[in-house]
This record gives sequence, structure tokens and C-alpha cells, in this order.
Amino acid sequence: MCHQTVSLAARYLEEHGIPTVVMGCAKDIVEHVGVPRFLFSDFPLGSSTGRPHDPESQAFTLELALRVLESAPAPRTTVQSPLIWSASPDWKLDFSNVARLSSEEIARRRAEFDRQKEIAKAIREKPAAE
Amino acid sequence: MDKHNIHESVQAADHDVPIPYRERIGTYYQTLGYGAPYRWAHYAEVPFAPLKKPLGESRIGLITTAAPFQPDKGDQGPGAAYNGSAKFYRVYSGDTAVDHDLRISHIGYDRVHTTATDSNSWFPLPLLRQVAKSGRIGELAPRFHGAPTNRSQRVTVELDCPELLARLREDRADAVILVAV
Repeated sequence: MCHQTVSLAARYLEEHGIPTVVMGCAKDIVEHVGVPRFLFSDFPLGSSTGRPHDPESQAFTLELALRVLESAPAPRTTVQSPLIWSASPDWKLDFSNVARLSSEEIARRRAEFDRQKEIAKAIREKPAAE
Repeated sequence: MDKHNIHESVQAADHDVPIPYRERIGTYYQTLGYGAPYRWAHYAEVPFAPLKKPLGESRIGLITTAAPFQPDKGDQGPGAAYNGSAKFYRVYSGDTAVDHDLRISHIGYDRVHTTATDSNSWFPLPLLRQVAKSGRIGELAPRFHGAPTNRSQRVTVELDCPELLARLREDRADAVILVAV
């Protein structure tokens, strides 16, 4: 949801005259929504502004985003950071990949998902404290 | 491993492509037994607002989907399991002049390959302050803003987006960086 949320917000701000750049790791979601400027890092979700504990990677990533912001010639400009996560691309096979889960694990995750939905529902329905 | 190793000109593995998240997540929830697939937001037309002045003279805003740490809401630490109770449902704002403890336990980030031990990899506020000091951007807006990640696109577009816009206008932000966790 996270990439969809910022993509929708970027569109809304641009419609109202404020230029934006999205920094993210889920290329298909951001491009499916459609945003003006996007710096894509081909990193695991949670690393949109650079590799953890690597200030050089983070500075490089932010500078790329600023360059996309100032120089994109048209909407749907995606720039992919040249940084790569690891020498092997095999990490990409793991995320939410049911082909890699046992039936016990799938059952466990279903129960956990139902539990989280109940928690979220309870928060939403609680009267606002503010 | 070399962190700047740009691909050499050899053929890459077939699976070395950006992860197809929509397909992956759709199949995942169908296999778990949830019926109709989620319909992701999708637009043919994309707006485009040009920068009005150079970045070096612009006031830059920051939007995040990370959540402020809430000590009473369970484990939000590095590697914590998905924690729905740490979610937030209203836009919030924070002073960009000071540091903030923002967490991502309420988000489906990659818990296998990252550990959420360095908030600079999803919330670049300290770095943006340095960048402002260097003159690369004119200045940082006085506040950053937190955007709730809502499954309902209607809530995002009709409630949260106007609120974000109003706050950014109040901040007189010239351009905005949005970071997806």
C-alpha cells in the first residue's frame, strides 16, 4: 500500500502545481499508478533511500532523486539507480513467493493476517482521542 | 561486495528484474484463501508540474509513510513482525529541525533481506539537512509529513491528499520528495 499511497499523493500534489519525486523500491506499483518522477532503487522494500548503514549509498541515492526532480523532461520519468543490492539476484525470489512456502506456513500466515486485520479494524473504529 | 558494482556487460539471470509485486502479492493472498484480487490504482494520464525555480533556491518538503514510535504499541523494532497496531490513520507532521524516531513495523517491507536497523535507509531527514546546508537545495521545509497507508484509495485521495497539500502550502514548499517504505 505504501508505494501506492505516495504515488497517489505525488499525483495529487502535481495536479495542484507542486513538483514531486518519488523514491521507492516497487517499480511495478509506482508505474502502474503513474507518477511524474520516480527514482527506483532495485533494493528490498524498506531501503528506498539507500543501503542501510551505508551513508555513501544514501547520499548517492538522494542526489539521484534530486537530479530526477530537477531534470525530468516529462511525466512517467523513471530513473533506476545503478546500485545493486547483492552480487546474486536471488533475494528477489523470496518476497511473498508462495512457491517457496509450505502448506503449514501458508496456514500460519493466514491466521496471522486475520489477527492483524482485527487489530487494524479495532484502531479504525476507536473514537478519535484528539 | 562492492556497493557500486554497476552491472557488467554480461547477460543477467532471467529473474534479475524488478520484483513484480502486484502479481506476487495477488498470488500470495489468493493462495492464503482471500478471493477477489486487490485492484491497484491505475491511471493513463499523469500530471506534471515543472519546477518554478532552481533546486538551490527551492524549499523542499518531505513525505514519509513511516510511523512515529509508540512505546505502548508492541514490538516496532528492527525485524519485528508486521505490527498492525502501530499503523496511523491521519496525516501527521514533525519538525524537520530535530530528529525523529520513525519506524516501519506497520508496513510490509522485506523482513527477510532487510532488518530496519537504519532509519536513514527509509527516512532521509538528517541527510536532507546536510544537503540544505551544502546549498544543493535552498532549504528544507519546516515540517515533514506522514502519509497514512490506507487500503482504500478513496480515503487516500479524498481525505489524506488534500490534507497533505494544505500542510505543504502552509509550509510554502516549492517541491516535495515522497519516500515509499
